[in-house]
Amino acid sequence: MKKLLIVSLLLMALACREKYIPQLNEPATGYLVVEGFINSGTGPTSISISRSTKISSAATIVKETGALVRVENKNNTTNFPLAETSPGTYTHPQIVLNSAEQYRVYIRTAAGKEYVSDYSTVRTTPDIDSVSWKRENGGVQIYANTHDNTNSTKFYQFKYEETWEFSSTFATMLKVYKDRVGNPHHVGYRDSSNPVYDPKVRRCWKTNIPTNILINTTEKLSNDVVALYPLTYIEPASWKLGILYSINLKQYAISRQAFRFLEQMRKNTEQLGSIFDAQPSDNNGNLHCITNPDEPVIGFIEVSEEKQKRIFISAAQVPGWNYDSKCLPEVAVRNIPDTIAVTAGTPTRVAKGGMTGLDYVYFASDVCVDCTIRGVNTKPIFWP
Amino acid sequence: MFRKQKHILFSLLALLLVNGLSVNAQTDTSGPLVTGEFKQLRVETFLLQLEKNTGYRFYYNKTDLDSILIDLSVKNQPLHKLLQLAFNDTHLVFSDDGNRQIFITKHIPISMALADDLFDDQPRKIKKPVITARNPIQKDAVVTEPKAAKANLENKLYIIGDKPKTALTPGKVTIAGYLHDSKTGEPVIGASIMLEGSKTGVISDQYGYYSITVPKGRNIINIQSLGALDTRRQLMVYGEGRMNIDLQPQVISLKNVTVSAERTSLIKGMQMGVQKIDIKAIKQVPVVFGEADILRVVMTMPGVKTVGEASTGLNVRGGSADQNLILFNDATIFNPSHFFGLFSAFNPEVVKDVQLYKSGIPARYGGRLSSVLEVNSREGNKKNITGSAGIGLLTSRINIEGPLAKDRSSFIFGARTTYANWLLNLLPNEYKNSKAAFNDINFNITHEIDKKNSVYFTGYLSNDRFNLNNDTTYHYGNRNISLKWKHVFNNKWYMITSGGYDGYYYDISSERNPTTAYKLDFNINQYYLKTHVNYFANARHTIEFGMNNLLYKLSPGTFAPLGNKSLIVPQKMQTEQALETALYLSDKFTVTPELSLEGAIRYSVFNYLGAQTVNQYAAGVPKTETNRLGVINYGSGSFIKTYHAPEIRATARYIINQNFSVKAGFNTQRQYIHMLSNTAAIAPTDIWKLSDPNIRPQSGEQVSLGIYHNFKSNTIETSVEVYYKRIKDFLDYKSGAVLVLNPHIETDLVGTRGKAYGVEFLIKKATGKFNGWFSYTYSRTLLQMNDSTQGSPINKGAFYPANYDKPHDLTFVGNLRISHRFSISVNTTYSTGRPITLPIGMFYYAGAQRTLYSDRNQYRIPDYFRADFSMNIEGNHKVHQLFHNSFTIGVYNLTGRKNPYSVYYTTENAVVNGYKLSIFGTLIPYINYNVRF
Repeated sequence: MKKLLIVSLLLMALACREKYIPQLNEPATGYLVVEGFINSGTGPTSISISRSTKISSAATIVKETGALVRVENKNNTTNFPLAETSPGTYTHPQIVLNSAEQYRVYIRTAAGKEYVSDYSTVRTTPDIDSVSWKRENGGVQIYANTHDNTNSTKFYQFKYEETWEFSSTFATMLKVYKDRVGNPHHVGYRDSSNPVYDPKVRRCWKTNIPTNILINTTEKLSNDVVALYPLTYIEPASWKLGILYSINLKQYAISRQAFRFLEQMRKNTEQLGSIFDAQPSDNNGNLHCITNPDEPVIGFIEVSEEKQKRIFISAAQVPGWNYDSKCLPEVAVRNIPDTIAVTAGTPTRVAKGGMTGLDYVYFASDVCVDCTIRGVNTKPIFWP
Repeated sequence: MFRKQKHILFSLLALLLVNGLSVNAQTDTSGPLVTGEFKQLRVETFLLQLEKNTGYRFYYNKTDLDSILIDLSVKNQPLHKLLQLAFNDTHLVFSDDGNRQIFITKHIPISMALADDLFDDQPRKIKKPVITARNPIQKDAVVTEPKAAKANLENKLYIIGDKPKTALTPGKVTIAGYLHDSKTGEPVIGASIMLEGSKTGVISDQYGYYSITVPKGRNIINIQSLGALDTRRQLMVYGEGRMNIDLQPQVISLKNVTVSAERTSLIKGMQMGVQKIDIKAIKQVPVVFGEADILRVVMTMPGVKTVGEASTGLNVRGGSADQNLILFNDATIFNPSHFFGLFSAFNPEVVKDVQLYKSGIPARYGGRLSSVLEVNSREGNKKNITGSAGIGLLTSRINIEGPLAKDRSSFIFGARTTYANWLLNLLPNEYKNSKAAFNDINFNITHEIDKKNSVYFTGYLSNDRFNLNNDTTYHYGNRNISLKWKHVFNNKWYMITSGGYDGYYYDISSERNPTTAYKLDFNINQYYLKTHVNYFANARHTIEFGMNNLLYKLSPGTFAPLGNKSLIVPQKMQTEQALETALYLSDKFTVTPELSLEGAIRYSVFNYLGAQTVNQYAAGVPKTETNRLGVINYGSGSFIKTYHAPEIRATARYIINQNFSVKAGFNTQRQYIHMLSNTAAIAPTDIWKLSDPNIRPQSGEQVSLGIYHNFKSNTIETSVEVYYKRIKDFLDYKSGAVLVLNPHIETDLVGTRGKAYGVEFLIKKATGKFNGWFSYTYSRTLLQMNDSTQGSPINKGAFYPANYDKPHDLTFVGNLRISHRFSISVNTTYSTGRPITLPIGMFYYAGAQRTLYSDRNQYRIPDYFRADFSMNIEGNHKVHQLFHNSFTIGVYNLTGRKNPYSVYYTTENAVVNGYKLSIFGTLIPYINYNVRF
């Protein structure tokens, strides 16, 4: 059915969409928002708690600090307190669960209100079979593949992080020196004692964590097999595959109720705007306020496990990728204060031969010279 | 009424004036004495006053009286003297027939004697009209009009029945017959046949059949119909008989004839809450891409709304889109749209007219809560093979019609196809492999077996196919076939039996991912047998009764793997079957000429049939999966659940005067099949569900009151109608409802109570150089779900507006005929924005800012305004040329206003953004070319 939304793109070809902020008569808000999962596998259990805000308010997260948070079994015979490791984030380094029991999260806010989630059975996540990719329409489509031999998982949530290496188009050994009042004055070597190209701004990495909700179900299939679940599409000639690209997939087994909660959240917040949209509606999850049962609580907490898999794709694997930085050629500029003061960009190298003569220097636009504008220059630990 | 006749062409009364000018009572002292002041009065007004004072009736041709003013003051003057004074220095003369009737003519007075040979049985002399088949024994003998003397038909006296040897005994008899278009032989539907000088009148039915009770003796009947010239027939009635009448179509004439017909059916008819539009008016209204669209024009009527430009779903008087029974020649059309709702699925070349019943739904119709939309197709030309073809921006169309047996049977065939792929080129590159196509085919046959038996065949097919980027394919269509037999027993009794099949299907398939390649099929099949009997008991009672049998067979979803790599588990939702039976009886009772009542009772019985597995839920708690107790299996053909109830339809009409009447109505409706859709617009993937043990039928009741007033010699019709409606068990959806392939769909539905009320104003000028209508509606539709045994109350149990609740709605449709070959049309509409659910706050989740929703429909999108303009250019009007051309050039959304279809918030790059989406947010020009042959 989700394809129907794309169908309506057809209508939207005629249609036009513009930004619009309606007048809202916003009621008081500040409902508790709880996110995370009780980790049945190896690794910490982390739950973050925040508050909903008014649409018109500044876009900052209102974190809920000073709460008492614990994971407890039925009748609370065992519990695991979570410590606030950063504001609004409550963590336990390693919880050991009994798979025969059911667990929930209990929260008491600083204001004294108590909240609990529904009890959840201990669920484990099957391993990821593979992260695969295919050339499609000139670009690269990346897929997740997994299966559960016991046919019991049925509902999956995926998250991923992508990281890619890139380099600036032009290397630089020069920089602009400023006069006493801070105006550009002249161009000189970055390190006059060692006039070489600066490696720190040449090679960088960029990481992107998408925020869309990725869920899938195999409920209608004869086997619990997820084959070629599309994760992301890399546009042809994208800079992501200029050198080396990596994607790290995280997989979680979830319950049917969690699936419906996430699906409704996706419909409410990611899929609106087409012509055949379902109306958005309330969607609260499995948490309740004991103190005031009418108070909405947003979030879904259950026991799950995180499984990960990382793959790399290099530029060599995608022949004809033709990444083009679209950087304009360097421009030679006379190295005197009058011209340097009005020249935009970053100097790269000396324009005329001879390592000592700085009469003319080349300039290129900042992003074509300094990769740290778009990425970081520390190599990730997982990078080969 | 009779004063306003413009077509009483007395100068042609020569027929009656063969010889013997015996009565010419124009003596100065005749007539009653009159006293009065007549200052600066138009002759018409003057005569009206005289009628009131004297009890005399005046007959005249209105155009004769133009521009004459009467300025008189008299005291105790005889009527004839007064008239002589009044008409002094004018060309007007008068004659009195001695029967308190005065005929006013130009120059030549009318002789009051009948022709000598009028009643003898000898053959007439040449050039005198012949009255045929006047058989004294055979009562059904048909008086057929001689074709040669059309112009004289109105002035001829038709003899009906057997002339008695002795003096005529007073009494009433019934005359019946068919009205036909004299050019094409098609029946004339909905024409009003009024007995002159009385308030009784009847309307011809969908076969052009009428039956009217008249007093024995001399009568004049007036016949009026949209699209035909008004005419009259003079009858000498001795006994029961047949009278077939040919009406001349109102062709575009090069002579400037202003036709001001009498439009009194609104005043005198029993119908209320009924709108009728003929195809000519529909084609004048400018629409997007110039594709004449029946449903879009219906939407301009008061009380009819739609959620937006991408939907052809009608919301009539606060009803949802599935509460309309859309009938195309008796066949139920489940999805009346092409191209995901942008265009309606009716070919304008085949349609004759549409009629929308918003209240006062006839007892023969049932099964839907808010309205019945009858789309009537034309019958083929019974005289010649003709056709037309057209090319527009989106479709090209052709239709051919002609006789199969001359004057007895005809066919009409119409087809449309699209080449909308160019639209897809407007899409981004990644969708460039998409394809879209739709088509529809109509085929109708009409055959008159003999004078008493006619059969009608209707076939309809529509297909829509859309392929997204060689990936997912959508396919949907309607299939309808019906056969109808009309049998006339005699003038008082006739019977219609019809049977047929209505089908709707869609399928969605995707082969992109071999593991999950699938095909989803859905279909509705409906078989019906209907019998309707009409009995004209006497002048005061018309009785109708009948029985409708409807067998539903729904296949609510078959999900199957496609290809041998697919792991899809075949899933087949259980087929649903049910039988809906209804018996009805109605009586139209004319209490006095002013007061008429129509009462009807319809008793409907719905049997949900096996084989079926029905989910059982604990009583008194919400139907959820956790509250499911188990299932009960029923065998094939077993009666699982029966719902039955009477439906009452009642209307009363009171005529206050010739131009003014009041009507009141009450009706109840029941609906056993429901469309499930939690989108605002009708989507092609919406499913239909029958009532079952867990889903109750919807029911509704409506009271309405209307006031009807005509002005300016009935050329301007006005009406005000108010209504109040209550709806029970209207289905709404729980949050996150899953509708497709859900074997326990009742867990996602809630029954709500609804109330709707409103007032509708309409001013309509149907004729003249400038014609059109203006309508304004104020209405509200509110729903309530406060039953905690069904689940958590919606909006805390308070009333909330329905998706299509748009309180103010204003429409103006105007057409100005500048010359006979050139006219311009304007359509403007304004309405309040529809309700939407907007967020009440936001929160962070899964790394992004997200919106929080709570109460439904608490906000509205901005108001809607649009103006469209079109020019119609006709080729020359030489009758005998081979081809007739016409062009339509127009602009949709002239002001280019970006009318919002929806307002929504969405999370993009982790940030919430608000947007306003317009479907046609710019002006859209179009051109259409048509050729008739």
